[in-house]
Amino acid sequence: MFSQLKARFGVPLSVGVVALIAVWLIGMVILPQLLMVDYSFKPNLLPSEIGSDKDRYTLDNYTTLFGNTIHLAIFFKTIWSSVLVTFLTLVVSYPLAFYLAKVATPKQAALCLLLLLIPFWINEILRTFSWYIILAYKGPLNALLLGLGLIDRPIRFLSGDGGVLIGMVYAYILFMIFPIYNAIESLDGNQVKAARNLGAGWIRTHYRVIIPHAKPGIATGCIMTFMLAAGSYAVPALLGSPGSRWFTQIIYNWFFEGGDWNQGAAYAFLLLVICIGFIGLVMKVFKVGLGDIAR
Amino acid sequence: MDSSVHLDNVVMQFGGFTAVQQMDLNIESGEFFSFLGPSGCGKTTILNMVSGFLEPTKGVVRIGGQDMRGVPANKRPTSMIFQNLALFPLMTVAENIEFGLEVRGVSKAERRKTSDRLLELVALEGSGTKKVSELSGGQKQRIAIARALAVEPQVLLLDEPLSALDLKLRQRMRTELKDIQRKTGITFIYITHDQGEALTMSDRVAVMSAGKLQQVADPISLYKQPDTAFVASFVGENNGITGEVVSYANGEAVINAGALGQLIGKAHKPLNTGDTATLFIRPESLHLDVQRDCQIKAQLDEVNFEGSYLTINSRTPDQRTLSIQLGANQYQSDMVSGKELGLSYSVADAIVIAGEAGDV
Repeated sequence: MFSQLKARFGVPLSVGVVALIAVWLIGMVILPQLLMVDYSFKPNLLPSEIGSDKDRYTLDNYTTLFGNTIHLAIFFKTIWSSVLVTFLTLVVSYPLAFYLAKVATPKQAALCLLLLLIPFWINEILRTFSWYIILAYKGPLNALLLGLGLIDRPIRFLSGDGGVLIGMVYAYILFMIFPIYNAIESLDGNQVKAARNLGAGWIRTHYRVIIPHAKPGIATGCIMTFMLAAGSYAVPALLGSPGSRWFTQIIYNWFFEGGDWNQGAAYAFLLLVICIGFIGLVMKVFKVGLGDIAR
Repeated sequence: MDSSVHLDNVVMQFGGFTAVQQMDLNIESGEFFSFLGPSGCGKTTILNMVSGFLEPTKGVVRIGGQDMRGVPANKRPTSMIFQNLALFPLMTVAENIEFGLEVRGVSKAERRKTSDRLLELVALEGSGTKKVSELSGGQKQRIAIARALAVEPQVLLLDEPLSALDLKLRQRMRTELKDIQRKTGITFIYITHDQGEALTMSDRVAVMSAGKLQQVADPISLYKQPDTAFVASFVGENNGITGEVVSYANGEAVINAGALGQLIGKAHKPLNTGDTATLFIRPESLHLDVQRDCQIKAQLDEVNFEGSYLTINSRTPDQRTLSIQLGANQYQSDMVSGKELGLSYSVADAIVIAGEAGDV
């Protein structure tokens, strides 16, 4: 690969580019992460204790989680809720992605994509806050539902997980739509026609022909959404209630309120490892290989 | 079982563009019927209307006498073989063939029986567990046929299914298709721009141009008695000499073709004196001697050796090109560019049709 770069840009420029990338990768990604790994295996010490007998590697920070039933419950709730967010996002995104890829005219598709993209020009905090306003007890959504006579009294969307789920589905929808859209778009239209022609109704056509073809795209979308949801901080912090705390909030507390970076780092790595393991498991169950996703 | 297809004054428009103009056509039950025309003539649109992927703007499609208006594609007794075959790449060969039966809720054992029987019909026994990607072009072709036949359609629709195959395979698949059609007795509707395919396989051929039917006839009649200048030019090779009608009587017409003088040919339709008409002579009906009814002078341009026959391209004094076809054994060493040729033809082999030679 370097020889290709050299042939194209010459030696000095190639070395410069590679060096820059190396500095960025090693200095800003790998070393800080290694430092956090190191932190996570050490106890939280006073400055004077550093270098003393107490300063040695231990698994204590990792076992803390399993001794704390409240944290453990929040941990599993975070995983479960992220699964739910992923599933809801998929349910919302798939029909839209199919419409964009196969039904809409190019003009309609362009308009739809633009409408989907524009809100994402605003930063995540503002977008999440706008949901806070929409979902408020005396907010416009309750007013609308009351006005339509669908409900008798306002719903408390923001207590419990409802608000967090809605906010996350909204925040991550593009990460789901685009991979699925790409996958479905690459499907030969005659495949759908052939299924119809052989007598398949719409549900079976999707289930047997379109979804199997789009599986890598669906997997990519689901993994991104799941990871983003499990690692989300802003949405649960803004739209959640005390009863719907996210594990990321616990990690945040260890770092910035408990002042225990070592414990926080261990929690963060536990979340990362369990999430990756969970994804690996799901990929195995649905028979999706890494190669499929990289396509 | 009645598996005829009727197009009853069918019109198809897309926005302002008319893809199919007022078409009235009966395709008999059990017939091998082809639509032949250049790309963009509307023949695929017809397939899409019969299969239900498109609803005609006007008119009615009937299959087996049944009005198909409002019947969706998945409820029609038709089966289609797509130009790119559209086999399902993520299913095995057997799953592909059985898909239509799976949809209909047929039991697994029954399905297996059908797919085994069809694999035998297309001479691919034992390939059921293979992946589609493991098959060669010709094998894929035959699996597509088996898949389409599995649902026991009344009408099989074929959208240029042989166009991706090489010449030898194409010729063999023609015979096989014809064979399968005879064995099953299903109505075949075949779309092609390849006249060789249409002429060799079909019971009848409809020649189309710009959304309009030019002629519907059996292959021999189409070749011998074209109705329009378009058909005469499009079906087979033809020499068209355009001129002005001098006289018409008793099924024969005389045209004045400028420098070539007056030429005579048969005319199946009456012509008016003074109208523009074209005299068509097939390359195999032009002879390199002056013993026949009408004579034409020309100069030899080039000789193309095509294996079993020769094609001579020549030029008349008024710069019209004429091609002459000879058996390979008639080649002579003095056939070189610039040679003066005396050509002649029999009136019975020439045909005069109103209009200019079609642009093909």
